[in-house]
Amino acid sequence: MADQENLREKVKSEVIRIMSETLEMPAEEITSDLEFNTDLPFDSLQLYEFVIDVEETYNIRLPDELLDEVKTVDDMVDVVIKLTSK
Amino acid sequence: MQDEEEQLSQALVRIFENVVLTEEKSLQAGYFKDLSIAEMHTLTAIGPYDARTMTKTAEDLGITTGTLTVAIDRLVKKGYVHRERDKKDKRIVRISLTHNGKLACRMNSKFHRVLAKHILAGYDDDDRKHILNLVDEVDKYVEQQLRRYDSSDNVRATASQVAKDTTKENKKDG
Repeated sequence: MADQENLREKVKSEVIRIMSETLEMPAEEITSDLEFNTDLPFDSLQLYEFVIDVEETYNIRLPDELLDEVKTVDDMVDVVIKLTSK
Repeated sequence: MQDEEEQLSQALVRIFENVVLTEEKSLQAGYFKDLSIAEMHTLTAIGPYDARTMTKTAEDLGITTGTLTVAIDRLVKKGYVHRERDKKDKRIVRISLTHNGKLACRMNSKFHRVLAKHILAGYDDDDRKHILNLVDEVDKYVEQQLRRYDSSDNVRATASQVAKDTTKENKKDG
């Protein structure tokens, strides 16, 4: 259980780091409940920059059909954990 | 009947031309001004994930490997494609997309998805299913026609067969 929580924290901080680099905003301002569509200032190019960086970091695939289900930072962390544990 | 056929025939040609034209204009107005439509389609054929061979990619695009080589040379120079020889078999050349190539490819897929989303937006679930079935049938029919030419050694023979079939159809109708 503690391992899972550690993994989740690690993935969350990496996802937020990538996001803060793409958006050029401080990582501290990004919380896991923020929503991609309404709370985060992504344009479509930046969104794909972020997605491709996450794909390359974790060697996973995040096709658009899957991204449609990702609403919040937390959702993205869940998807990354799910895909990397396969 | 004749009017309906004419209407469908004109609509098909118009849809094809306008999709390509819109795609081209959106490219010119967007982040990837240095890419032509043909180059964007080459990136899409390579795809955002695994490296692919030149042969398979040329096959998918329906062009010769010679033509693809020229296109890939340009895309490598522009920084969209990465090319390397297979480590075990040096005769095989593998191509994959760079970070920018992946970005262009995904933005282009998004363009098509948004177009589809807007077309389907005004319909309920049943109508959507109906539209998708119809489009699927048109797609399959056109692909079938293409295969007839592809699989034939003699294009003239295929054209002559099409002419015969059309005459038969006309006789049946008349």
